Amino acid sequence: MVDGVIATIIKAFLLINILMVFFAFMTWVERKLIGRFQARYGPNRVGPYGLMQPIADLGKMLQKENMIPEGARPKLYMFAPWIAMACALGAFGLMPFGNVATLPFTDYTFHLYIADTSVSLLVVAAIGSLGFYGLMIGGWASSSKYALLGGMRAIAQLVSYEVAFTLAVIGVIIQASSLSFVTISNAQDNLWYFIPQILGFLVFFVAAVAESNRPPFDLTEADGEVVAGYHTEYGGMRYAMFAAAEFVNAITLSALGAVLFFGGPSGPYLPGPLWMLIKIGAFLFVLIWIRATLPRVRFDQLMKLGWKVLLPVATLNLLLTAAVVAYR
Amino acid sequence: MDIVVFFLAAAAAIATAVAVVAQKNPFVSALALLGNLVSLAVLMLLLEAQFVAIAQIIVYAGAVMVMFLFVIAYVGPRGEVGPGDRKPWLVWLAILAGALIAIEVIVVTYGATFSDWAEIDGDYGSPAAIGKALVTDYLLAFEVVSVILFMGAVAGVIFGTGGRPRRLSTDEVLAKEAESAEQRRREASRAVLDATRESMGEGS
Repeated sequence: MVDGVIATIIKAFLLINILMVFFAFMTWVERKLIGRFQARYGPNRVGPYGLMQPIADLGKMLQKENMIPEGARPKLYMFAPWIAMACALGAFGLMPFGNVATLPFTDYTFHLYIADTSVSLLVVAAIGSLGFYGLMIGGWASSSKYALLGGMRAIAQLVSYEVAFTLAVIGVIIQASSLSFVTISNAQDNLWYFIPQILGFLVFFVAAVAESNRPPFDLTEADGEVVAGYHTEYGGMRYAMFAAAEFVNAITLSALGAVLFFGGPSGPYLPGPLWMLIKIGAFLFVLIWIRATLPRVRFDQLMKLGWKVLLPVATLNLLLTAAVVAYR
Repeated sequence: MDIVVFFLAAAAAIATAVAVVAQKNPFVSALALLGNLVSLAVLMLLLEAQFVAIAQIIVYAGAVMVMFLFVIAYVGPRGEVGPGDRKPWLVWLAILAGALIAIEVIVVTYGATFSDWAEIDGDYGSPAAIGKALVTDYLLAFEVVSVILFMGAVAGVIFGTGGRPRRLSTDEVLAKEAESAEQRRREASRAVLDATRESMGEGS
């Protein structure tokens, strides 16, 4: 807590609301872009350019019947989306949007991040891995074999890709010799880390797409194989929470990529938060582009890629970085 | 503020610890253990041990408990534990162990003076300080632990793969299936050819 309790609560409240509005906007962007990639219009009926589509979707979700499948464990079934959602939002809280700012028309200065600890990066990794419990509990508690299989796939994918993900990130940690996002993004003022850490960045990017369960790694909800995976039995707002958690995770991983490899909020002319938004937006655009372009991988291809390609490459990058830093 | 967080986390730790043994379903017990690990991490945070708290969550909550839940949910026993599964000598053993811990807690709290605060500097508990301690003062223990972990990994691979017939990879299965499909197709066409020949032979 860098700014006192009240300021932190206000910032957290603002961040959550901005993040949710951004998520709603991004669902529109995603559907619009996917439409364009597939040579059709995408949503264009509700409001100008279909911009009100997310609000219409929300209204539809809210009206759905609140039901629990037979044989499910009601408490865990209802609790699972909250875990996913809380972890997705919590991980974003540590992202820096700049250093210090002054409130307009006053002398009050505050930091453009909620918290900066000496272990920020680990906190994000920890909260991110806790988020997978939402998927697993949801899959287990709905008493459906497809949900169970989807949850199992989610865990297998998490375990395989988290190793490569962490090793790729350690390269950045060694180079910046810090785990704090503020220090890491400030250390890139001269050179963005994606140039010296290009191997690490490639591994990070593939593993991040896999960790966010987005296509082509969306085996947890492959509709031809496991219906909708862990959220097969969920409807209405609970389904919406899972979907939101998944997308917010993608936003968090984009922000992480921007901070670790592209200098975070630093950039010429424009203010920090705007740069951060541009970088997050660029990452999300590439994610949507990939979703529209690549077919889904098979499960054995997924495992082979994680253990036999990404892990050795990440280890090699780690050794190279350590050798260079030690020699310097 | 600190004291409120402490009592909340301590109450959560005790409640979840009771739930681990009181719950009948192993999956729910494992979830309670997860809650216990997280509330212990909060207590560690209050003791300025940031790195240890986060490492606890990443290693135990994020990896070890995932494996526990995985095993319980997918290959573990179905159903719940009933009262008939309890062995009487286990109850006595549990009472004995509880009594020993209670005696230890009482002795330690009576003997200690809580007015002596520990002196810590600003760097205490940071990843840098812990890393330095691990590779200087405690290097031997650190390396020995890594060797033990490596042995565990090797043993896991051996137990997991040894002694069983080699599993076919998906590509091999697909190739095999394609081969047998080709054979079936050939047989079918040969049968059709034979039938045609026969009927033609009858016709002439």
